[in-house]
Amino acid sequence: MIQLVFSLLVGLALLVVLYFFARRGKVSAEGSAQQLREARQTLDSLQFGLLPNDLVHRIFAREDLRYVRSAAPPQVESLFLAERRAISLAWVRRVRGAILDLMRFHRGHARLYAQLSLSTEILLAFNFAVLLMVCRLLQIALYLRGPYAAPGMVRTVAAAASRVCLISEKSLVFLKVNQMDTLKNDPSHHGASV
Amino acid sequence: MTIFIQFVWLGGLLVEGVILVRSIQGKSFAKYSLFYVYIASVLVKSMFLYVVSIARPSLNVTVYWPAQFITLSLGCGVIFEISRHVFAQHVSLDRFARWTMLTTFGLIFVLVAIHAFLLPRWNLAANTADLERDLRIAQAIVLMTILFLTGYYGIEIGKNIRGMILGFGVYVGASVLSLTIRLLVGPRFSSAWQVIQSSAYFVALSIWAVALWSYEAEPAAGPPSISGGEYQILAGRTQRVLGWINEHLDRTAPR
Repeated sequence: MIQLVFSLLVGLALLVVLYFFARRGKVSAEGSAQQLREARQTLDSLQFGLLPNDLVHRIFAREDLRYVRSAAPPQVESLFLAERRAISLAWVRRVRGAILDLMRFHRGHARLYAQLSLSTEILLAFNFAVLLMVCRLLQIALYLRGPYAAPGMVRTVAAAASRVCLISEKSLVFLKVNQMDTLKNDPSHHGASV
Repeated sequence: MTIFIQFVWLGGLLVEGVILVRSIQGKSFAKYSLFYVYIASVLVKSMFLYVVSIARPSLNVTVYWPAQFITLSLGCGVIFEISRHVFAQHVSLDRFARWTMLTTFGLIFVLVAIHAFLLPRWNLAANTADLERDLRIAQAIVLMTILFLTGYYGIEIGKNIRGMILGFGVYVGASVLSLTIRLLVGPRFSSAWQVIQSSAYFVALSIWAVALWSYEAEPAAGPPSISGGEYQILAGRTQRVLGWINEHLDRTAPR
């Protein structure tokens, strides 16, 4: 009986996978020059437009809450908190986006390597999935408990997001074939340089 | 129902002929040789079974399953053809797909061999339906693996191979489901099973006829494969970044 159920599941799964495959649009060539340029533009806008410390500090400043509490009626305070919560949620979305970018870069380039390690790829896929799930959980927590529920969260998330951007940027440079020889000869760029 | 099956059968023969003629006209036979050998074998089998059903109808059941087993085995070649073209520029992924194919198909054939040698009452002719279902499941698993890898790594697939995958996938999926239900329900389902099998195969042939009408080379993947230790550095860097993010996110959990 188990065997029959398994067979039915495999048959159904194949038809579902085929349905999504048929609906899949034209895949853009990951790792192409245009893709890399777009990726760099995305990272630049994140790194220099959305993640600077002063901007982040301004958005999540506790002084603002204290000021609103002392100078405005409760209705204004609840409106203020709702808006700040929306901003903090957008913040986590950015971190998630950066992780997705990193994942896309890795997949787009890793497939071209002749000595791809299956175990490493599975481990990375698992880690990406876990991180994306953690981001989702953070989003839920922020949604339920508000932007000031986690002291210190803003600084650390900002640091993590900045690092992701930085590393992704380095990956883009590193992955240019014509620069590989330079990297090979430079001990500061071996693995630990991230 | 018999008229419908006859109609589909004859229509199938016609489409198979068209596909083979187009492959020669369009000079794509050599490009997808395993696939066209499979189509030719099904065409020959269908014509042979048609002649048998007219000349010696009593032999029909006896020759059906052995003939089916031959085309079934050649069907594995279609999967190989798909994998060969999809991963032509991705050495590691091609290696992994081949490993999956060897493992799954090999396992099925080893099990058949074990049954044949160790179980005296077991014979291939009597168990071909079971074997067909098992092989179709193996084909389905390999096909899903290929589709997962192409989706995960964003590999572009050309029109010919896309049609080959869709057609073969529809046929394999319908076969797995109908064979399983047939084993579950019993002889009552046989006539419905024949209709499903014939219709699914006709659908597959129609998809192949459209997709393989003219040859279209697979899209280029971009830069060539790079061998050496660079992959380890890339993977190590990605792993390290993930570790950092994880550490930071742990620390940022709401308290």
